Amino acid sequence: MPSPPPGFSERDFQAALRELEDIVGREWLFASDEDVLLYRDGYSPLWGEAEERKASAAVAPNSVEQVQGIVKVANQYGLPLYPISTGRNLTYGGAAPAYSGSVVVDLKRMNRILDVSARDKTCLVEPGVSYFDLYRHLRTNKIPLWIDTADPGWGGLVGNALDRGGGYTDIEFRDHFDAHCGMEVVLPTGEVVRTGMGASPHAKTWQLFKYGLGPWVDGIFSQSNFGIVTKMGFWLMEEPEASLQVAVTVPKRRDVVPLVDTLHSLMCAHTVPSQVNVVSPLMAGNNAEMLRLRGSGGASDEQWDQYAATAGGAPFWAAQFVYYGPRNVIAAQWQHTKDRLAGIAGVRFQETASYTFPLTDEQVEAVADKARYGIPSLNLFGSRTAPGAPPLEGHMDFSPMIPPHGEELIALTDFTGKVYADQGFVPSFVGGLMFHPRTMICFHAVPTFRTAADNARTRKLFETLVRGCADRGWPIYRIHPVFQQLGMEMFGFSGGALHRLHETLKDAIDPNGIVSPGRYDIWPKRLRGSRA
Amino acid sequence: MKQLRVVAVVLVAVGASADVSAQEPPFPIAAWSRTTAAVEDSGAATERGAAVFNNWCSACHSRGPQNAPGTASLQVKYQGSVPAALEDRRDLTPEVVKLFVRNGVAMMAPFRKVEVSDADLDALAAYLARR
Repeated sequence: MPSPPPGFSERDFQAALRELEDIVGREWLFASDEDVLLYRDGYSPLWGEAEERKASAAVAPNSVEQVQGIVKVANQYGLPLYPISTGRNLTYGGAAPAYSGSVVVDLKRMNRILDVSARDKTCLVEPGVSYFDLYRHLRTNKIPLWIDTADPGWGGLVGNALDRGGGYTDIEFRDHFDAHCGMEVVLPTGEVVRTGMGASPHAKTWQLFKYGLGPWVDGIFSQSNFGIVTKMGFWLMEEPEASLQVAVTVPKRRDVVPLVDTLHSLMCAHTVPSQVNVVSPLMAGNNAEMLRLRGSGGASDEQWDQYAATAGGAPFWAAQFVYYGPRNVIAAQWQHTKDRLAGIAGVRFQETASYTFPLTDEQVEAVADKARYGIPSLNLFGSRTAPGAPPLEGHMDFSPMIPPHGEELIALTDFTGKVYADQGFVPSFVGGLMFHPRTMICFHAVPTFRTAADNARTRKLFETLVRGCADRGWPIYRIHPVFQQLGMEMFGFSGGALHRLHETLKDAIDPNGIVSPGRYDIWPKRLRGSRA
Repeated sequence: MKQLRVVAVVLVAVGASADVSAQEPPFPIAAWSRTTAAVEDSGAATERGAAVFNNWCSACHSRGPQNAPGTASLQVKYQGSVPAALEDRRDLTPEVVKLFVRNGVAMMAPFRKVEVSDADLDALAAYLARR
């Protein structure tokens, strides 16, 4: 049997589990080794080590009332809970708890799409609803609305929004927390609150107006442990008439400065509506000279441009984005974009995909870049690219945020390239991805393994990246539970005042400290000694 | 928002091959819905198994390689020595199907019982192990 939570006697633990079983039924209480192992983090950087974060049990409620019952039992026993929605946030911890011994509250069974309004372009869903689920609902019912999906379509709207994930369509929708409107939360005390207009019992605008009256508290339920969210509303995108996906390439290293400046300006002016990827095709692959330059951490523009001239014609930088709307408007936006970028010597423009909506089933199947059209898939999982390549075992996302400036992208690439080389890793792909309106995220997929020695190396790499980038002004926006203490340390202004505020709130909202202890390094009083 | 483009999902062949020609799924699956159709219990084990596959597996393991990263990975892995699409395999046993669903492999995380129940897994295993 799995170990009980720290400090729990086996007798009390079993008594608590019996009460949980009474609430959800025998089928939905998981306490055997075999069942609890399904809640491991398959990509854990601590896989198989004593410090690996593991659940003691899992319980799967099917209603708000059952969630309230679970919370009541947890308060009675001091039982740590760890709610998950679909449990598929694989690169940020998956279904495993932040604090070993927690009982996972698996909300996957709460998978009802409670409302979709084609007229108001909104939805209200439970935490177990995946992007696949909502897409199917819209498609089956011929509702001309788009979702904005995370890369893996098995993710859930609620969980992804609460961890502040994102997607690829219009700016109003792709910041998933920003696109939510109203939530229902079971507080750690068991009380149910609705935020925004939902607090007014007869309001007709719960999914239409975010703020309600008084302080707007929704933010404290993201990247936190202040409650169990059981419903969330979201704004959905009206299906456009058409789309045009384009690519812009520039030949020289320093061209990324005017390229990013201009695209950011066009994004702020709502001329470019979609997420923008700025990547370096030239710096992809495993060319030895390219890797040497990256590993040096300080190759000059001249060295890089000299390399580019001999590298077979791959552009130094490529930007990719999509226009959505009426065809004539798209044509004008695209022409304006080209006019604004025409001053970069050697710039090239390419139209890569054009669609008129709605798509047929066959077109949906054929779309290459599905998430840009609100179509969920698992295509990001890719495949082996070369025969004989070892299968990867997992990875964590390292996700520093930088200003939307080409100089910063170059500087981060120089710094991280040297870190990877110094520690014997192949460097990450190079890209600045404009998900949010005023920043770029420079994702790196840092590999994880099933061997302690390899994971020790990867943890050292990850910590070096987190600290080094924060020191240079590029802190992360989201982080794996194993590194959440480190992450919050990077937000330590005024001796960690923000972190102290988080724990002040924790003490007030969750006096017994039962919900997700340690998540984002927010610990209840009774467990603050658990912080390393 | 993950940016990893290279992920391998590798299944290891276990069990003897059977010399049986490939069979089509028992019912046509709309292209757009093949990753999203709800599991419906029609009472027929094979149809239920196909529905479970459709809902939980086909987004990676359908007859690809397009929109089937798992199939593409298995093609690279086996180089055609066995079919890359799981539905075309004739050497899978129920036990090996269950092993991989509940344990995962490489980048494929295990599936929990709130996702694929034991009853669904029995049906899926029977479907993929059919001869």
